[in-house]
Amino acid sequence: MRVCKAVITAASPNQNTLPLQRLVDGHGDEKTALQLIIEETLSAGIEEIAVVIRPGDEANYRHAAGSAISGVTFIAQDQPLGYADALLRAEPFVGDDAFLHLVGDHLYLSSINKTCASQLVEMACRHECPVSAVQSTREHRLPYFGIVGGTSVPQHDGLYEVRRVVEKPTPTYAEQQLITPGLRSGHYLGYFGMHVLTRTVLDALHEVVADESLERPSLSDAAAKLPARGRYLAHQLHGRRYNIGVQYGTLIAQLAIGLSGRDREMLLAELVELLASREPDRGLISNEDELIPGAML
Amino acid sequence: MSLVASTSPLLQTITSVDPKIRNRSLESLCAGLSAEQLIDQANELDQFRRTADNLYERVRALFFLASIYRYQLPTCLTDHALGSIPFDGYDHLLNRRFHESIDSFLSVQQRDGISDALSSALARAYHELGFQTLADQVRHSVRTVRGNQWMFRLGHAGEHPLRIHPVLRKPDQATGRFPILRETTAVRMDVSHSAWSDIFFLGMDYPEGARVLNVSVDLGVRGRDQQVKPPIETYLRVIDQPIVRLVSVDLEAVTEISTVAEMFDFGRDYLGLLKAAVIAAGVVPPGLEGCGSGIAELLETVVGRGKGLELVSKINDIPKGSRLAVSTNLLGSLISNLMRATGQIQSLTGRLDESDRRLVAARAILGEWIGGSGGGWQDSGGVWPGIKLICGQPAGPDDPEYGISRGRLMPDHHVMDADEITPQTRAKLQASLVLVHGGMAQNVGPILEMVTEHYLLRGEVQTEARTEAMSIYDDVVKALRDGDIKRLGRLTTRNFEGPLQTIIPWATNRFTDRLIDASRNQYGDQFWGFWMLGGMAGGGMGFIFDPDVKSEAQCWLGEKLVEIKREMETSLPFAMDPVVYDFEINNDGSVAKLLTGTELRMPLKYRALLLPEWLRKPIRELSPQIRLDMSAIADDSEQPSGQADAATLLRRLLPTSESKTREPSASDLHGVLRANGFDVTEHEQIRADLRSGRVGLAANRLPRDIRIVDVESRHVFDARDGFGLAAEQLGQDAIAGGRVGVVTLAAGVGSRWTQGAGVCKALHPFHKFAGRHRSFLEIHLAKNRRVAHQYETPIPHVVTTSWMTDEAIAAALHRTGRYGHDGPIYRSNGRSVGLRLIPMVRDLQFMWEEMPEQTLDEQQQKMRASGRAAIADWARSAGEANDYVDNLPAQCVHPVGHWYEFPNMLRNGTLASMIDAQPTLQTLMLHNIDTLGANIDPGYLGHHLASGAALSFEVIPRRLEDRGGGLALVAGRPRLVEGLAMPNERIEFGLKFYNSMTTWIEIDDVLRAFGLCRDDLRDSVKVDEAVRTMANRLPTYITLKEVKKRWGHAQEDVFPVAQFEKLWGDMTILEDIESRFIVAPMRRGQQLKEPAQLDGWHRDGGSAYVDALCQWND
Repeated sequence: MRVCKAVITAASPNQNTLPLQRLVDGHGDEKTALQLIIEETLSAGIEEIAVVIRPGDEANYRHAAGSAISGVTFIAQDQPLGYADALLRAEPFVGDDAFLHLVGDHLYLSSINKTCASQLVEMACRHECPVSAVQSTREHRLPYFGIVGGTSVPQHDGLYEVRRVVEKPTPTYAEQQLITPGLRSGHYLGYFGMHVLTRTVLDALHEVVADESLERPSLSDAAAKLPARGRYLAHQLHGRRYNIGVQYGTLIAQLAIGLSGRDREMLLAELVELLASREPDRGLISNEDELIPGAML
Repeated sequence: MSLVASTSPLLQTITSVDPKIRNRSLESLCAGLSAEQLIDQANELDQFRRTADNLYERVRALFFLASIYRYQLPTCLTDHALGSIPFDGYDHLLNRRFHESIDSFLSVQQRDGISDALSSALARAYHELGFQTLADQVRHSVRTVRGNQWMFRLGHAGEHPLRIHPVLRKPDQATGRFPILRETTAVRMDVSHSAWSDIFFLGMDYPEGARVLNVSVDLGVRGRDQQVKPPIETYLRVIDQPIVRLVSVDLEAVTEISTVAEMFDFGRDYLGLLKAAVIAAGVVPPGLEGCGSGIAELLETVVGRGKGLELVSKINDIPKGSRLAVSTNLLGSLISNLMRATGQIQSLTGRLDESDRRLVAARAILGEWIGGSGGGWQDSGGVWPGIKLICGQPAGPDDPEYGISRGRLMPDHHVMDADEITPQTRAKLQASLVLVHGGMAQNVGPILEMVTEHYLLRGEVQTEARTEAMSIYDDVVKALRDGDIKRLGRLTTRNFEGPLQTIIPWATNRFTDRLIDASRNQYGDQFWGFWMLGGMAGGGMGFIFDPDVKSEAQCWLGEKLVEIKREMETSLPFAMDPVVYDFEINNDGSVAKLLTGTELRMPLKYRALLLPEWLRKPIRELSPQIRLDMSAIADDSEQPSGQADAATLLRRLLPTSESKTREPSASDLHGVLRANGFDVTEHEQIRADLRSGRVGLAANRLPRDIRIVDVESRHVFDARDGFGLAAEQLGQDAIAGGRVGVVTLAAGVGSRWTQGAGVCKALHPFHKFAGRHRSFLEIHLAKNRRVAHQYETPIPHVVTTSWMTDEAIAAALHRTGRYGHDGPIYRSNGRSVGLRLIPMVRDLQFMWEEMPEQTLDEQQQKMRASGRAAIADWARSAGEANDYVDNLPAQCVHPVGHWYEFPNMLRNGTLASMIDAQPTLQTLMLHNIDTLGANIDPGYLGHHLASGAALSFEVIPRRLEDRGGGLALVAGRPRLVEGLAMPNERIEFGLKFYNSMTTWIEIDDVLRAFGLCRDDLRDSVKVDEAVRTMANRLPTYITLKEVKKRWGHAQEDVFPVAQFEKLWGDMTILEDIESRFIVAPMRRGQQLKEPAQLDGWHRDGGSAYVDALCQWND
């Protein structure tokens, strides 16, 4: 199996501007979130990228993609019919090929020399089946993610055979149906926002979109059908995902990227300063030492 | 372990997998063993229980130990060794440090040898540890059920993982108000009973034997409700305030919760069950207890910023104690509603599927534990539809119980379909069964403990009965499958009259027996059978009739229930008038519906409850949603269909005339006080003293510097060694000469016996002798009769009464033909009553903090603490030391202590009449109503006469449960010291003898001490003066007694109220009256203070002992 194509979804009505935000990367260069996501994709050897967007967003996205625009195709989702439908918009683009899929509101930071996308694609190619990247997730975060339950694959650290997938389960359900041996109690495998998907998945997406009992079906609904149709793996990558769509999400993602890059020392100093000058009761910054961006202690 | 087990038959019995060995009874294994051999066996068991890792083996060893020390060993102790109980061990016991307590008692046993006292202490400690171990295991299992665990891990409100369903968060388009999720749920009735096999402990040890047939039913109260419907309705909606509002329309209680801590405060209002549901449903998970957060933070995460939840319960006024598991199914309904709303149950509306029902049942068990109550595992059956078999299941490798107990916590439910039980059979059942609530609402907790203990000990008779009950279960299921309701009736009757009463004789009572007899007499063969619901009879019950007469029988039974209740309400604790239900089998279980548009409204009683409160506030202070609610009420009232509701609401808002709300008024009470010698001056003095602190619980105590030590052998005569022939002869001559009479103290209402229910304890028919329930009074007369007939001499019998008991006792004596007693009976009516007072918070604190009490299980202790805070608030708000008048007059007045009973006989002329009728009368034996072993024994009488004492008090060797003072040497003089007067706890534990209250009174000597002689008894002025003078020489104690206040539908609140007393034992402090003390055996002096003692009393031969003293005359 070879993975040369990638699909990035960014058409969600409330989140379509998220990839347009500007951040500073690990080298100190200003980039949009979209650029960072495209760079992540390209690092895995991807040659063609499709971004699913809302109608009318293309100009902004072209601008945000910057120099990486050459291999990028934009596909509009005409109606906001949900995540599953958005992915199916890219079906003509991917054809029958396996493809890498990333969501447009997540940024990734690897803790090893290989990027998260590279780790995932490599695993999918080795096992020749759909693979979803997952991260151990504490139960209080369950309302935000698709959760998989499974068993670990012997001899493969961090690799799991998926038995069940549920979108945003309750902890009650998770505890009964989604416990994965080997994780700490109260922890589950939550989607990382990065998948390698195959034709089987597209077929399942068609089914869930056609299912009238489901309101705005998601990828999880389709992925739930996969374990019954063949091998479906989940891989716990060496790295972390940062959801920029939640409150303070972009701030935390920026801090994480910054602290892992060139400006770590400077950021740490600023943080210490912030903490030290915080008034104990009201959480306000003291007037005495005005913060000067970029100043070193 | 097997090596150890092979050496001891007791250990073999506990550890064997062979049922034949495993089910051997303790009695058979201990038969013929000496005290030394029993102690050896006990030591081995104790070693075993310390190391055994199997829960049930450990528990069984503990119950074996408790039983050996309670029942086997005391009968083998031939000498009269008077051991004392180490106070440290007792202190550990009270504080639930059971292991330390046992070690303390055992070390004394090692050092000083075993004694009856020590044996009683060890029995209690092992017993408590056994139940604690079982409760811990159930708690552990409840917590570890998958789906429940996360709730104990959540520690911060902001990390809450649940979200309210989006549909509920979106205001209804038509009305602008948030939609309401309504859940309706059935209640359950238990057809087969199966000998309480649904107790968790039993199901977890013996899953094969834990089987019930359980039917979900809809109800209506006959004559009140127009239709039969699911009795439970719960309503949930989002509100526009960041609070949780809980409303019980039946209890007319509303609370608004704004902190997490309040949600865990169960005792502060009547909404504990709703709080337990919110917690068990995970909305405020148990892990958050003590987190210190406001509820708004939690609600922001779960519901949205500025939003809250409102939860409303309604049980259609089904009275408490219906034995239909109303509270558990209400809990289930609330939990189901909340779990649907938070997505934990997949379907927001409609019926539940099997996995959802199991989840709800598991959470209901959790909720019951959190709320400090407990039921059986079948109780949430109303959540399931129709008729189902519920069976215990062996624990498998995937279950948390695996390797710990044989069975799982959660049973399996099999809903029987139309092929198994046809629709015709279901219709026939409905056409035959009359469901009633007899009006009694009793605590079944002690019964369930007794059942558990019997099961673990495998008493031979009880085990046989359990086997029979299991075979009856099979027959019941078959009878229903065959559609044979008549046979079903025979089986349920056989079950009730056979195995159930063999295992627990107290499952029935005189009221129930009379109802069954009356039904048999009235309908003969057309009365097909009786059916006990739940833990005990007297509340919810079923009567099965031939369908041809069912309708008529239903009316007849309704009247008969009330008639018999009227006759017995002074002797049995009824909480309400009986009712007859209409019922139908419910085939849906628990069902939810989303109310929107024109259906969007809370029940009428909710509106009636909240509307007056809303109207009291300025409109600007009401939230927008409440304003919308109010305008919706206005809109509804304009509709023709809303006229009746509008009238109800209006009635609620306007004052109602007094004649329609006939509550006991203050004028009734004042009439009672005037007519019964209430002394206003004394009352005001006591109130002033109480407020100033001159009297009170702390002031009851003797000064600390007075030396109080145990008596020596020279201070007592030990009657356990027998009396000399001379004394016996002297006594016999006195009896034969008509020189002795009996005084039975029956003025009290037995606060502990019925927990303040205010019935006449003397008339309570508590135990079957010679095939019929007998009351205390009947038993005392039967003892008198036996001696009188033996000596062919009438023995006058005085029954002292008070305003609370006199009429009831007179009526009972009249109705029963004086219980067939042929000797003279005198009623000595009390001449004074006191008026109870609201307690001082100081005294409440003293009672809770300074006086010894048993620490309860963790959750119950929290309930107690919370309840106490509410009681202290009540005392403050009602006014400390104000008159307690907010209850029936009988519950507001009190007898003024048993010291007055003898003086009353002087004042009311009873003694004079007795002497007139029998001038030879010389001695009286005075005894408490609950001292069942006391009788006219010639040895005691002869000894008393020979000693020349004015008063001879019978004392008994102290056992652990004998608390409340004793015989002591005070400043060198032997006297009785009341428990109230003990300067500290430790002193009491140094006293070997406990006062039985049985007193031999030399009439002339005591009259002399009063400054009277026989001729003065007709001079009321002189007598009154003498009594007043004597009373002034004796101390007055302040005590706190519990009284019940009944309200609503069989609801009861218990309040501690203050009263004053003078006590008879204090006669021993008077130096001019010669008091002597006789040590009597335990059986003779044992007192029955609480119904929970009955089982032990019956099993240890106490009832047989009493029976042998009586002559029944039916």
